Amino acid sequence: MGMTYIPSTLSEALRLRAEKGAKPLAGGTDLMVQSKRGIALAPQFPFDVMIITAIDELKGIRALDDGSVEIGALVTPSEIAASDIVPWHVRQAAAGMGAIALRNTATIGGNIGNASPKGDLPQPLILLDAEVVLASVKGERRMLLDDFILGSKKTALGDDEIIRSVIIPPHDFTYSFYRKIGMRRANAISKLSLSAAAVVKDGEILDFRASSGASGPRVIRSKDAESIIKGHMVEEIPELMDSFLEAWNNAISPHAMPEYRRNTTRRMLGYFLSSIHEGASPGIISEEV
Amino acid sequence: MPQTAIDDRIVRVDATSKARGEAKYVSDLSFPDMQYAYMVRSSIPRGKIDSISIPELPEGYWFISADDIPEEGKNELWMIQKDWRCFAEGDVKYVGETIGLLVGSDRNVLRYLLDNVDIKYTEEEPAITIDEGLAVKGGPIVGEDNVLCQLFVEKGRPMEEVFREADSVFEETIETGFQEHVHLETNGAIVTIENGKYTFYASAQCPFYIRKAVAGLLGLQAEDIVVKQTTTGGAFGGKEHFPDVLCGPLLVAEHKIRKPIKLIFDREEDMLYSVKRHPAKITYKTALDKDGNILGIDGVVVYNCGPYLSGSFVVLQRGVFHANGVYDIPNTHVKGIGIATNTFPSDAFRGFGAPQTLFAIETHMEHIAKRFGFDPAEYKSRYFIKQGGETITNGHIVERVVLPEMMKQVTDASDYFRKASEYRPGSGKGIGISFYNHGGAFTGNGEQAIIKAHARLVKTGDRVRIEVGSTEMGQGFQTTLRKIAAATLGISIDDVDYDNPDTSIVPDSGPTAASRSTMIVGRLVERCAEEMKERWQEGDFSVEKEYEHPEGHPWDQNTFRGDAYLGYGWGCCIVEVEVDKLTKEVKVTGIWSSHDIGKAIDELIVHGQVNGGIVQSLGYASMEKMENRNGHFRQSSMSDYVIPTSMEFPTQQWFLVDNPYEWGPFGAKGMGELVFNGADAAYIDAVERAIGKEIHKIPMPPEDIEEVLNAE
Amino acid sequence: MLSEIVFYVNDKKTVFNGNPLTRLIDVLREDLGLTGVKEGCGEGECGACSVIKDGKLVTSCIIPVGAVNGSHIYTIEGIRDTEKGKCIIDAFAEGGAVQCGFCIPGMVMAAYALLSSNPHPTEMDIRKGISGNICRCTGYDLIVESIKLAAEKGGSIWA
Repeated sequence: MGMTYIPSTLSEALRLRAEKGAKPLAGGTDLMVQSKRGIALAPQFPFDVMIITAIDELKGIRALDDGSVEIGALVTPSEIAASDIVPWHVRQAAAGMGAIALRNTATIGGNIGNASPKGDLPQPLILLDAEVVLASVKGERRMLLDDFILGSKKTALGDDEIIRSVIIPPHDFTYSFYRKIGMRRANAISKLSLSAAAVVKDGEILDFRASSGASGPRVIRSKDAESIIKGHMVEEIPELMDSFLEAWNNAISPHAMPEYRRNTTRRMLGYFLSSIHEGASPGIISEEV
Repeated sequence: MPQTAIDDRIVRVDATSKARGEAKYVSDLSFPDMQYAYMVRSSIPRGKIDSISIPELPEGYWFISADDIPEEGKNELWMIQKDWRCFAEGDVKYVGETIGLLVGSDRNVLRYLLDNVDIKYTEEEPAITIDEGLAVKGGPIVGEDNVLCQLFVEKGRPMEEVFREADSVFEETIETGFQEHVHLETNGAIVTIENGKYTFYASAQCPFYIRKAVAGLLGLQAEDIVVKQTTTGGAFGGKEHFPDVLCGPLLVAEHKIRKPIKLIFDREEDMLYSVKRHPAKITYKTALDKDGNILGIDGVVVYNCGPYLSGSFVVLQRGVFHANGVYDIPNTHVKGIGIATNTFPSDAFRGFGAPQTLFAIETHMEHIAKRFGFDPAEYKSRYFIKQGGETITNGHIVERVVLPEMMKQVTDASDYFRKASEYRPGSGKGIGISFYNHGGAFTGNGEQAIIKAHARLVKTGDRVRIEVGSTEMGQGFQTTLRKIAAATLGISIDDVDYDNPDTSIVPDSGPTAASRSTMIVGRLVERCAEEMKERWQEGDFSVEKEYEHPEGHPWDQNTFRGDAYLGYGWGCCIVEVEVDKLTKEVKVTGIWSSHDIGKAIDELIVHGQVNGGIVQSLGYASMEKMENRNGHFRQSSMSDYVIPTSMEFPTQQWFLVDNPYEWGPFGAKGMGELVFNGADAAYIDAVERAIGKEIHKIPMPPEDIEEVLNAE
Repeated sequence: MLSEIVFYVNDKKTVFNGNPLTRLIDVLREDLGLTGVKEGCGEGECGACSVIKDGKLVTSCIIPVGAVNGSHIYTIEGIRDTEKGKCIIDAFAEGGAVQCGFCIPGMVMAAYALLSSNPHPTEMDIRKGISGNICRCTGYDLIVESIKLAAEKGGSIWA
């Protein structure tokens, strides 16, 4: 059983991380649950942990000069959902996480670091090419979140590193789509989620992207599939649709509940593309009723 | 203090203390020198126990098992039969079977010990599903064919004759799944010794059941054991027999340790290792004439019981007795089989076997209607049973059946007929309807022959105390019963006391189950109060009454013929849905219901019961999926076994019809289970219309709807 | 580095020296005897253990006590005799919101957090506000009605 530390500053935390390998524990919504032992018993971890909730350097959402938005690792889904500078897809995902109490407690750093395939935030962040800022006693490095999350519960986090923040580059999408399917209408773990976005100018699709959550060991983003649409004209969508959907389908992991997840993803992407083709007004493509 | 009238709107007597967090549930209680207990359970569904190795126990720690049952005791829990063992001995029959109890003062130490218990088994091939049980997979668990219990009922002419005359035969099998109670308060009990008697504090529906079930473990009589019910945080049938499974091992431990011992399940234990609603497989074969009229129904009802009987035979009987729903089917033969498997034993759950067959008959009737091009509501209404109509058990409906009125209320309020004709099958929109009933109280003459309920009123000065064994578990009985007493006596409800029962003080009023409390115990209290009112001037005295069976209800428990129930509650429910074209998620856009419960003793309480029962039923139909793989339940938490949140369903519109019942207090009948019995079928009917396909099972989460859509 | 955790429970200073991973619910129930805080699931899914931490609704079963240093925690015991707490509790009683009651203290806390930030909630606001508080008995309609009632009756106390 490991030791538990409560650092008050980032440098203290980084030192503990380097010297003891202590793992950060923030909201506890994942770690406290995974290691629970029952009524009136404290969770136990086979490694040292540090409760990092008091570290101010890891808090806050700010706009950077280049138009990016930086979200501190301890920022909660409630704060993200309420922010008017965080991009729409990420706010949607944050607003749909668990219920209020969980959204007041969980953190973006934890949601990313836990790397659960069912985690809500990585999916739209990966759509937006977000980067993670990793800090250690040696300094900081940045990497694409899509590269940081290696698989289910696996990340590229170094033994001496902690997640400091997430940086989302600016986008100006003409069309956006987000949908989470949970086991019920609220307070639910994701069964499947999808984000999609497109930039259309003068009938040309300058950017097209999509990401699927809870569809495999990690968030699915397929540049190959996206390139089938990207750079083409809106009127070409019908003839590209099948090969795009096929390419996306092939990108989805062939595991668990394949039919429903595949078909639903296919229908949602098809719907998004059709809406663009049919000249939907720019903005959010909301669900079909 | 003003007199309380039966129709007064009052504040529930237990509301404020519960809302203030002052009510003490069993987990909130502690005693000096209290010890804690953890269950050691089997981890395989079937096999021989080769060895049990317990880590070295520190001073003040105990491992209690079958070896600790004294010579004069027997390793059995007396529920209806005595087949459920208190501790597994030699072999195990399901995952989670109690093998022993670890007891001591420090939960950290106990948890360490529990994690280091090593049990070696020789595994045997289990039978998990109904089909595997019927096929006697791995050899018989019970008898030679795994049939734990069975019965049949018949009405009208022989089936061969009826089927010979049929123009067509429509046969289908409808399946329902496990359902977990998820009472927000998990199971728990404390045992101690008070005044020289073994005493339990338990979260329980039936304190007298516990006494009877556990006494034999020590060779004692039920009267030697005292059970005090603690504030019970929901039960729904899950705390009817199941507390016996906690209290049995606790009693054996107490016999040895003689200190207060507390056993509280955490949620994971309560999910994985507690009783569930019986999964069912119901086949109806229906003989029809060329116009779609029903000539007769031949049904087979199979319930998955697990390896021990517990309440299963009674559950199965109720299932079979409700297999014709609210319909007067001229010729019927229904066979019921309770099959033994190696799953956790199934047991009572609100509706007690009726929901499964009612779902099946409603869905079947609706399928027939649609196949012949009739509106299901119209078609079903042709077969409504009427006063005097013959039931499936050759008894008769005694009361006036007001289903047509109820149907009119909900079809008008929901604009059912317009919507039903406008929503094209497969359009994504649908509206569905169901009809249902629930027989009140114990089957047949059970109230007279088995239960013989007692109730007592004690007058001290101007205050009156109700002494009954019935329990408050959330359904509002403390308020309902006080209201009945106060209104009958012509005093204020504030002058009536009714504490959680203590078996050493109150008479046995029978279990708090079977929607019998208001109807049976309420009537007893009403009778006590009538006499007390007449004798009011006599000073301090008490009045005790025994149940009296109404005349004219013949019943033969051997052949299952006669009036299976003294009276029925009736219901009608309409559900409207939209099915998302992209995701197949179902959004319920309207819920309408009407119920005949005789008379509402307290309308606000009834309102809450209606809402809650319907939402539980909609959860059963839609999202509550409990799967069992190789004997292990796959859903172990409230995040993977999901029940409805406040966001799931819209505000309900509800109606009651007044139809006073002759033998109920103020005309009231049972209602707690009735309101669970039908929303599931209305929901599935609506979803079927929205997607334009037939459905043959519940639950139906979006991925299963997808499967139905892609079938064929 | 912290070695001692100091926080405030219902305005009373509390000093905790034990294992910082101890669940907040266990400190509240076992050490402080605040048994109005209920454990329904132990994993933050049911809301029965809801408390208010620094003005926000949280589930005390998944928060390690090491994360509440300097925080102000309010449980049902801390609000039940306040004007706002009484308003909600009375509305729950009057409106028929309570059945088995096990979820209710947590539900009252959720209603308290909701009305404190949104004095005039719509039905949907209320349903969202309690969507993390699972009730198996009521089907929620009367709880929603009761919270509406508390908003109306409380009037300016929520503003």
